[in-house]
Amino acid sequence: MSKDDQKKIKLPRTAKGKKPQYFNDPTVDKLLSMVLTLMGELSVTRDRLDTVERLVEKNGLFKIDDIEHYEIPDDVNQIRSERRSAYIARVLKSVQDELDALEQKGDGKNTELAD
Amino acid sequence: MIPLSDHDMLAQRNHDEESRQSFVNDFRIHLASNVFPGNFPTYYNRVLPNFIKEKGREPETRHEVRKVMTHDPYYSFWSAMQRNSQEMIWDSVIDSVERQLPELIEKSRKAGDKGSLTLDPDLETPKYHVAADIHLQPGAYHSDQIEDDVAAGAMYDWGTYIYSMGGLGTGNNALGQITNGFFKNEYPDKKPLRILDMGCTIGGSITYWAQQHPDTECYAIDVGAPVLRYGHARAEALGAAVHFSQQNAEHTDFEDESFDIVMSHILLHETSRTAIQNVFDESYRLLKPGGIMMHMDLPQAHGQQPLEGFLFEWEIYNNNEHFFAQLRDMDMAELCRKAGFKDENIHPKSAGSFWMDDQTPYADDGFEFPITIGIK
Ligand SMILES: C[S@@+](CC[C@H](N)C(=O)[O-])C[C@H]1O[C@@H](n2cnc3c(N)ncnc32)[C@H](O)[C@@H]1O
Repeated sequence: MSKDDQKKIKLPRTAKGKKPQYFNDPTVDKLLSMVLTLMGELSVTRDRLDTVERLVEKNGLFKIDDIEHYEIPDDVNQIRSERRSAYIARVLKSVQDELDALEQKGDGKNTELAD
Repeated sequence: MIPLSDHDMLAQRNHDEESRQSFVNDFRIHLASNVFPGNFPTYYNRVLPNFIKEKGREPETRHEVRKVMTHDPYYSFWSAMQRNSQEMIWDSVIDSVERQLPELIEKSRKAGDKGSLTLDPDLETPKYHVAADIHLQPGAYHSDQIEDDVAAGAMYDWGTYIYSMGGLGTGNNALGQITNGFFKNEYPDKKPLRILDMGCTIGGSITYWAQQHPDTECYAIDVGAPVLRYGHARAEALGAAVHFSQQNAEHTDFEDESFDIVMSHILLHETSRTAIQNVFDESYRLLKPGGIMMHMDLPQAHGQQPLEGFLFEWEIYNNNEHFFAQLRDMDMAELCRKAGFKDENIHPKSAGSFWMDDQTPYADDGFEFPITIGIK
């Protein structure tokens, strides 16, 4: 195997084994995976932007390579982590809503108003 | 996410790879602390009343709970997200490993020789490892994609750290800290000369032992070649002497009565009904008289309520941890007895993060594992 071939190695990306189906319509399983991936990628983009903003402020001007070598200070790490948690909670609001509704009393219909 | 402590074999992450891993880490923390707990009110307010209405009684076993909970829309949505988060762990670590693989292989070839590495290309991978990739790591512990591959090990180092949401500690060695702390407390006068760790993967635990006991000869075995190559290079990078070899823990080539300690860290639940007895038999054979067997694994079903027991088993059905379903009900003392240990020398114990010697913030989480002790 030449050095070039070795550089192009592709690792497997799908685990062996039967994947459970979680929803009645398997399309929903796929959609959920897509949404979660999107959620992650948006978070990655936001982190990258955050790095850009901080570097702009710090240097006035920067080289693209600076981004790759940006070292996350502890306090920035903390800020990012908190913002990520808030972001996750926002995207998953529909899940929280279901839980909140379960804990609410009544049948969820405004009969008083309708009457 | 607080990064793992750097070492020479650790795959370096670029900006976006670091961020993607941090996202998966924080997403899993959110699922664990905000979404998972919702399974309790879901069960008590919705699933249980329906069950009682239909059957006139409460579910008696975790299996009965499974039948009804699996179809609950809240539970299944959490479960689907949890499964996705597991797939996302591996997805978030593959890129950096794939990109740096040639350099990592090169470094492992030049690893030091404080310890050693002995591979056996003819060793058959046990059947219980080839049908499905355990905890969804693509290629699992044993697949070589390229000559002298170390990818499975490099992925495991970051992947398990993210899986544990940092719980394994920045040295990725919490399990070793726990058995070592347990041992020091339980047997303060013992000075082990020669010890063996079975199913060592990248040697996170045994390398920690080697660092704590520089005068002890430390051996570690696993069936997976790529994790052993990585583990050996990692141990050398950390300055620890560990002798790694590719062997099946059911039947090794070590001599009778040649170890003071034979131990494992979460190996048993990834074996099989036949293999687990073989592992206990082999442990007995390898121990010197007075030697100590310590197998630490995940909690069993006895003492757990039906709902708790059911939730605990999520990984069996959703994360390819298939044998764990059987281990949950197995009689560990019986395995010891059959292996040759005398009743008075069999001790079911518990080891947990309270035995970690560096009191990292993770130690507060209080996770606990059963540990099966047999003294020869
Ligand atoms: C969850 S990992 C163990 C983690 C490791 N002990 C640690 O402390 O970090 C399970 C390991 O056991 C290995 N294994 C499973 N069956 C085995 C057997 N029969 N003989 C040797 N190793 C085995 C797998 O290849 C895998 O690397």
